[in-house]
Amino acid sequence: MDPRNREICPKLLDLIPQGRKWYQEEKINNTDQEKKLELRLGPPGGDEDQSTMKKINIETRNNMKQQQQQQNIKKESEDKSFHCFNGNHFSPSNKTTYVPQKRTAPGPVVGWPPVRSFRKNLASTSSSKLGNESSHGDQINKSDGGEKQVEPKKEGMFVKINMDSVPIGRKVDLNAYNSYEQLSFAVDKLFRGLLAAQRDISGGEGEEKPIIGLLDGKGEFTLTYEDNEGDKMLVGDVPWQMFVSSVKRLRVIKSSEISSSLTFGCSKQEKKIRH
Amino acid sequence: MTQDRTEMSEDDDDNSQSPPLDLRSAAIADHCSSSSSSTPNKSRNCMALNSQTFPDHVLENVLENVLQFLDSRCDRNAASLVCKSWWRVEALTRSEVFIGNCYALSPTRLTQRFKRVKSLLLKGKPRFADFNLMPPDWGANFAPWVSTMAKAYPWLEKVDLKRMFVTDDDLALLADSFPGFKELILVCCEGFGTSGIAIVANKCRKLKVLDLIESEVTDDGVDWISCFPEGVTSLESLAFDCVEAPINFEALEGLVGRSPFLKKLRLNRLVSLEELHRLLLGAPQLTSLGTGSFSHDNAPQSEQEPDYAAAFRACKSVVCLSGFRDLMPEYLPSILPVCSNLTSLNFSYANISPDMFKPIIHNCHRLQVFWALDSICDEGLQAVAATCKELRELRIFPFDPREESEGPVSELGLQAISEGCRNLESILYFCQRMTNAAVIAMSENCPELTVFRLCIMGRHRPDHVTGKPMDEGFGAIVKNCKKLTRLAISGLLTDQAFRYMGEHGKLIRTLSVAFAGDSDMALRHVLEGCPRLQKLEIRDSPFGDVALRCGMHRYYNMRFVWMSACPLSKGCCKDVARAMPNLVVEVIGSDDDDDNRDYVETLYMYRSLDGPRNDVPKFVTIL
Repeated sequence: MDPRNREICPKLLDLIPQGRKWYQEEKINNTDQEKKLELRLGPPGGDEDQSTMKKINIETRNNMKQQQQQQNIKKESEDKSFHCFNGNHFSPSNKTTYVPQKRTAPGPVVGWPPVRSFRKNLASTSSSKLGNESSHGDQINKSDGGEKQVEPKKEGMFVKINMDSVPIGRKVDLNAYNSYEQLSFAVDKLFRGLLAAQRDISGGEGEEKPIIGLLDGKGEFTLTYEDNEGDKMLVGDVPWQMFVSSVKRLRVIKSSEISSSLTFGCSKQEKKIRH
Repeated sequence: MTQDRTEMSEDDDDNSQSPPLDLRSAAIADHCSSSSSSTPNKSRNCMALNSQTFPDHVLENVLENVLQFLDSRCDRNAASLVCKSWWRVEALTRSEVFIGNCYALSPTRLTQRFKRVKSLLLKGKPRFADFNLMPPDWGANFAPWVSTMAKAYPWLEKVDLKRMFVTDDDLALLADSFPGFKELILVCCEGFGTSGIAIVANKCRKLKVLDLIESEVTDDGVDWISCFPEGVTSLESLAFDCVEAPINFEALEGLVGRSPFLKKLRLNRLVSLEELHRLLLGAPQLTSLGTGSFSHDNAPQSEQEPDYAAAFRACKSVVCLSGFRDLMPEYLPSILPVCSNLTSLNFSYANISPDMFKPIIHNCHRLQVFWALDSICDEGLQAVAATCKELRELRIFPFDPREESEGPVSELGLQAISEGCRNLESILYFCQRMTNAAVIAMSENCPELTVFRLCIMGRHRPDHVTGKPMDEGFGAIVKNCKKLTRLAISGLLTDQAFRYMGEHGKLIRTLSVAFAGDSDMALRHVLEGCPRLQKLEIRDSPFGDVALRCGMHRYYNMRFVWMSACPLSKGCCKDVARAMPNLVVEVIGSDDDDDNRDYVETLYMYRSLDGPRNDVPKFVTIL
């Protein structure tokens, strides 16, 4: 179990007092306090982490219910605190990185604002540079609203991505995408220009060609990744969320070299040793 | 006729009504279906005009000839309740069936009652499922429907699904079973991929409409465009803007070239501006165009660029324009030649600044439907108000959909629209700041409003000028907009707002509530005061058991009730379930380990003629 959760459990229960007093105590800008009060729910049948969280939820919600039934009228701050418990459904609200600027409300809530997932990625996928600019960094808070996946997401999950024959790597935010297809488009966007430039320099055609067929082995390149156990894997076998939770870095390799990718890890380690 | 059967009024965009079978006629259904195979005794009881068959036949022939002119569901439902004879004839002549909740009845019941169905509209998951409030694999499977209809309706022509789970196998079965199949429309669906689409494209030789709208389509790597048969097609509408998979452009160009009846074409993000240009040159008869990416494939050309404006100029019939998925703003002026004809414009994927926007909108005098991102700012909305006097529907989506984002539109934009677009009927408006005054102004200036959906993105935000709750604003909307049927509320709201809704919202059919209200009284006002309420979706609001019990007289007359993150107890839900046997009460997300837990995470309940469904996943408990 995550040590952070262990740390939170006892403190959270300690914080539930009997009377109404704690509602006023809620009006703090202290992130720590908010962190402690944030409850999370994982998906049903989730792992140990989440069942612990759920148990916390039960007790606090029962308390909440009792307190609520006692009073009919609630002030705005009370509403906020109440909803801080109820605001989280099937994914944990953000924890460490988000600090509210103007409001004391806790972090973003699942499915709010009610915008469908395909409308949420506009800032990242749009190539337009006009209007409000929202850089990739701002995606931290987009991850758990309106997207069709239900499992927990970390915010701003940037992993390195390198491409064969391109010396410069890039970083890609996996939480900006819901599927392998979207990721493969992103790879195309990130590397098309660089690849063309690289070919130009090395005397080949400098014309930009779309990088396609990354997932089915039919293209010139194939997308692979390194998982949390250090193994080199082909992208696309496991469900998207499972992939996101285990991926450490990405690599776009030449499809022709797939058989030699078995030795890829070794050569990489050798390089490291040499340095 | 049931006394409490309310007269069904039309919804904004989805013509929703109660399912075709109400509880009384279900009883009739059973009775009559048994009588058809029956003993003479039973058939005599069944027919009011009995003993002589001659008048029956005449009457039924006449009825059949008359009833076939009845299109409206509302009228047909009413006609079917006149008497058993009418019921039977109506069932024989109904060719289009609408089912607002796929779990309200079983597919078998459908095929037993209606014998000559050509068109089916079927809706599955509740709307809040779109916003991650429901785990995946909850249900709404198309499979049992398609397999039952495959045997019962071989002449089926049209299937229109919304929020259903459709697999490639389902699509394959569809393509195989219905030789005359003409229209497939999938809205907000998932579970299938390009291989399923390919099968439909290939086998449905009479296909007129293939519309994939806001659906999740897996890229199986299949070149489905090439799967359309050779020769002239009957295609009239092809929409694949949600398909995130590359398209074989040559095949598409060929397809468009041999589809002389093609009027609507919606391209996906992977079709570039140059490719669009080529398509336009080949299809000047288009009336509705989704422009794809509206950006260049390759690096900017040094050679002569295609004359995009000329291509648009040639499309004299285009009245509906959308797409602009990856817009390169410098090319936006190419659409100017068609602007004055446009009745519908969708910029909601394009981050357009006010400066780029204003020259375009100034030409769109005929615009009736306009969707955009808030990047056009209040300034852009003022331009819309100044030009688009015929505007009926407006939707402003947030470019940056977070609670703490800046919010470039506000009450100023809303006020301007209300003053300029007096014929407004439907509005969806995302913003960060709003005032009661602007909402009140809209209620007074736009009496035709039937749909008012305001989303103030920061939870519990009050009127940012007065600091007061938004009660008066929404109160004015329900009071003054006498035709209002759909309402979505937001911002800081007390029970007073709900009191207004219960008092004035007599035509409201759909109500969306989030983070609002103070107590059970709020929900009680609505349940007791809104007799037409059909669809109620509530999240994160302090409504508990007392409120839930207040609605028991209504739940059989509603399509569904959704309540998530509300303080409901399982005990109370069980009581409701026990008291109302034809109501399916689903509790979603219960912890399996803890059946004793009394708290209900999500309640989703709906009336059903066939009891609890048989495809319940682990995380759903039916009480």
